[in-house]
Amino acid sequence: MLRAFFVALIAATPAMALDTGRIFVSNERSHDVWVFSPDFEHIATIETSRRPRDMRLNADRTLLYVACGDDDVIDIIDVETLEVVDSIPTGPSPEVFAFSPDESLIYVSNEEDSMMEIIEADSRIVIHDVPTGAEPEGVIASEDGATVYVTSEVADMIHVIDTEAGAVIDNIIVGTRPRRFILTPDTNELWVSAELSSEIYIIDRATNEIKEVLQFLPPGFRPEDVTPVGMALTADGSRGYISLGRANHIAVIDGVTHELIDYVLVGRRAWSVALTRDESVAVVANGLSDDITLIDTATLRPIRSIPVGQVPHTVVIDD
Amino acid sequence: MRALLILVVSVWAGIASAQEEVRIALVGLDPDPRFDDAIAYARIETSRQGDPEVAARMAISDLSLLTDARDLTIDLSVMRVAEPGDLVTAARSLADEGARYIILDLPAPEADAVAAALGPDGPLLLNTTAPEDWLRRRCHARMLHTAASDRMIADALIQHFVKMQWQQVLLLHGKTDRDLARAASFTEAAERFRLRIVDTREFDLSTNPALREQNNVALLTGDTRDYDAVFIADSYGEFSRYLPYRTALPRPVVGATGLVPLEWHWSLERFGAPQVNSRFETAIGDSRRMTWQDWSVWIAVRAVLTAEAKSRDRDPDAIEAFLRSDALRLDGSKGAQLSFRPWDNQLRQPILLATANAIIGIAPLEGFLHRTNTLDSLGVDEPEFACD
Repeated sequence: MLRAFFVALIAATPAMALDTGRIFVSNERSHDVWVFSPDFEHIATIETSRRPRDMRLNADRTLLYVACGDDDVIDIIDVETLEVVDSIPTGPSPEVFAFSPDESLIYVSNEEDSMMEIIEADSRIVIHDVPTGAEPEGVIASEDGATVYVTSEVADMIHVIDTEAGAVIDNIIVGTRPRRFILTPDTNELWVSAELSSEIYIIDRATNEIKEVLQFLPPGFRPEDVTPVGMALTADGSRGYISLGRANHIAVIDGVTHELIDYVLVGRRAWSVALTRDESVAVVANGLSDDITLIDTATLRPIRSIPVGQVPHTVVIDD
Repeated sequence: MRALLILVVSVWAGIASAQEEVRIALVGLDPDPRFDDAIAYARIETSRQGDPEVAARMAISDLSLLTDARDLTIDLSVMRVAEPGDLVTAARSLADEGARYIILDLPAPEADAVAAALGPDGPLLLNTTAPEDWLRRRCHARMLHTAASDRMIADALIQHFVKMQWQQVLLLHGKTDRDLARAASFTEAAERFRLRIVDTREFDLSTNPALREQNNVALLTGDTRDYDAVFIADSYGEFSRYLPYRTALPRPVVGATGLVPLEWHWSLERFGAPQVNSRFETAIGDSRRMTWQDWSVWIAVRAVLTAEAKSRDRDPDAIEAFLRSDALRLDGSKGAQLSFRPWDNQLRQPILLATANAIIGIAPLEGFLHRTNTLDSLGVDEPEFACD
């Protein structure tokens, strides 16, 4: 009896997180993922399928999934060995993806054929192809997995998708060229960046209504230079970091009141933002200067910029 | 610290949900004299190789989820007229049938005639394929222009000249009105940046020995002070295609061949442009690529549908005010927010500097600034603009 219990426990225990503290950067044009040690030494370059973009770690942080837009696959990298160990086929041009809470399903936007695919991770079977507006990009799943939100960059809207039915149940019209999402830790708010109308939309998840629209203007820039894409929130939701694209700055805001705290100068076309686990450093990928910028979150000053591959897309940190 | 935090509560709330039809018409000539195959004696691609109707349909399809969400039904009727003299009647009948917008795929004189005939109470006209500066100066209140003006095209190229420090230019042009218009716009743009046009010469397509100064490339491009580049205005493309590598001085050739300023080119690889091109190629079904005329029609339909779907007020005047405002923030997959200039009703937009298979630059080039909107470094600016 006791023995049987132990067996069941072992079987249910996932592989252990390695806590490598490594920083991963996907590079669209050099078709690789650069790996940095926790002290930002470049330790490996992993060749992937062509045009790696969005990346996510599985829950126990042993595997890194990488959507590769030009080979229509999601590559899987072993975080310990730093090798591509598997690939999951997707529809044309996968860009951004999310997992269901139990990681049994992958939700992926296919930029070229305007679909959000729901793929069963084990069998690799596509269980739903949900039609979206043209050029779907940002994908995020609700904490219970019942709802997935997808942006359409061309239709300027967010599709609210019921994952069980595999169907769009609501549309939220936002600004021009909506790109990425984050959910606040209390899960009440969905934030969406609208790149070409220079706005962050804050959506009330209970009603799917737009609660607030944030705009930013670093000194010396014009509104049209501000092209927000990437966002990150601290674990307690108290502070937000928003990349401002061509305005070459990160906006740091209060996560609750949404008031601006500061602007931090980074590289050209600041794109993805990620925080280390202790939230002492924000790592920003700069798409047009092929580097990442490290920001000290205590002083809000850039520490240094480090070269990476060509056209860095996403930063993921294992810690 | 200047914090810019704008609070907008429930922007889209309270919009009526009754089904409403938006009628759009596309009017063109068939045959269109601008693309007459008989003009060039060689079988080259003088025509744009296809009807931009597919681009209008693609825009409707691109925005269908948005217009569906607003309960808008979009109806597109396409009318191709054989005789230019019948155009006004055709446009009037479309207006009488309730077309709210008429997309004009017409040469400048015909577009001008339609606008004059329909007057200030007619449907909104969108000029998509006539780049002539004079059509902007006609200041038709009901005409917006999505085709880049000749002056915008010229300014884009001039920015590249300035950047590359090509200060001495040999200007060649053909005899057609289009060639003269392009040459005139280039000259104006060159003057603004104090470039020196070392000579302006007209080429001739014949092989008549009596005209050898004009039809012999070595003579046409020789016997002049040194130049850094040759600019050629040649709307048919027949003379210019034989010009590179044969100039008297070994200099780059730009304008109608070599480096060509365009609204759109298939080789643009950023800003979602590859997806627009691949949607177009799927929609058209043959191997034709999306041309600048297709882009112009696509963006015109996108502009009106975006305004229809995003205006908070269903009143037609409010929709049009939104369409003409900075709030339009249109995405043309060229990486910039697009809107119409109030002084000449021209869509402000980046211009691509394209070779046969690459984008060399996207104007406004870095370093070219403007006091309000960098895109307004291309084209006639507000203080310089005057209606005829």
